[in-house]
Amino acid sequence: MTCEKTQEKFADYLTGDLDETGRGEVRKHILDCAACREDLEDLTVVWAKLGVLPEEQPGSAVRSRFYAMLEDYKAVQPSRPKSQWTDWFTFRRPAFAASFSAALLLLGIGAGWLMTGGGQGGPRYASLSREVQDMRQQVALSLLSKPSASDRIQGVSYSTEVKNPSDTTLAALFKAVDSDPNPNVRLAAVDALYLFRDRPGVHESLVKSLSVQSYPLVQVALIDFLVEVRETRAVEALKKLIEAGELTPEVKKRAEQGLKQITL
Amino acid sequence: MNADHSRTKKTGRMSPTDNELMEAVRDGRVEKLAVLFERYQTMLYNFFLRLTGNRAASEDLVQEVFVRVLKYRAGYLGDSRFNVWLFQIARNAHIDHLRKQKPALSLDEQFAEAPSHEPRPEAAYENDREAELVRRALDRLPVQKREILVLFRFQNLKLREIAELMGVQVGTVKAQVHRALKDLSRIYLELQGGDVS
Repeated sequence: MTCEKTQEKFADYLTGDLDETGRGEVRKHILDCAACREDLEDLTVVWAKLGVLPEEQPGSAVRSRFYAMLEDYKAVQPSRPKSQWTDWFTFRRPAFAASFSAALLLLGIGAGWLMTGGGQGGPRYASLSREVQDMRQQVALSLLSKPSASDRIQGVSYSTEVKNPSDTTLAALFKAVDSDPNPNVRLAAVDALYLFRDRPGVHESLVKSLSVQSYPLVQVALIDFLVEVRETRAVEALKKLIEAGELTPEVKKRAEQGLKQITL
Repeated sequence: MNADHSRTKKTGRMSPTDNELMEAVRDGRVEKLAVLFERYQTMLYNFFLRLTGNRAASEDLVQEVFVRVLKYRAGYLGDSRFNVWLFQIARNAHIDHLRKQKPALSLDEQFAEAPSHEPRPEAAYENDREAELVRRALDRLPVQKREILVLFRFQNLKLREIAELMGVQVGTVKAQVHRALKDLSRIYLELQGGDVS
């Protein structure tokens, strides 16, 4: 291998992204080539030295400014802008591409069903659909009780695929929001519950949860949820939170804004 | 710090990937940008800090990036990695920052300059002479070389991602990384020997 070809591999060699064959070629070349050997030694030293530079944390003002900017932006935007119907007719949107493929598939299945004298299987289909829903629900519940946080997040995700979750599934999601040790699971559970916001008990449970959360992102997610559904029962809980004085400045600001939005 | 935030839907119905979050932001759920901010603010801050050597400017630039993310959210296609798209915005914000700082100089001249150093708060490095030397050596690299090294060494971008970001071939990036490291090594040795003050 030439010096030029060898040197092309140096960057990957330093990051460890070179496969064993490539590393072997580099080693073989530098055994015979003093210039490349010296070159690689220098690069390895400086590469390692760069590792001594510490990572710095930005000041807290960065976060405050960001959340203020986001709030300002949201205030002047419609809350959930409806996409133009024409937007859906573009393959740039993966959702459209997937829906289009699914529609074609369903069309084919439907045609085959009609041609084979279908139409008798309605109840059977309904029963099958129920079974699938039950199965998803069981998987969700099982995953939500696992010790691994990633499993539990997967469980939350499964629960969102259930059209009409049982009270047990909803209770598992409430429990995840209130007491899961991992904030990402709590956050995912709040998002999942948004899909079931019309079910009885969801609003009340999340209002109660406001008083037990301490992680800022989860607090903001809960406030966003309750503001979005205009839950007036959250007013007292928000006031208490603000008065308790334990919120980060960003969350406090969001809580104050939320309070105004709910009571508008 | 630079965890892979871009797990695909297939490998994990886990916490939302960067791409899923940005698609949600694009489609109107702008509050999801908060999660992306929490994931990337430190990374972006250090990217700018290593390019500008200026903490206040770096904080402004982080803010500017997220302002632009909202401004251009409708243009996010989701067919490339989110971090590449984000760093494209970050690079442009930095170029505009340089333009504003030195309007009299051409961009090439600005790129050739070392960063204007604010008196750096010594606390982080003063007990670590080596870190200080490395930082000074890095600051003496022209911005283009420093940028490519920072992206490759500290932002953990892959060579192909940097190539995509800069609109060049992967081979070109490899050569540039090689040259930048060689220059850095030379400058470091000069500083260590006290040849350059």
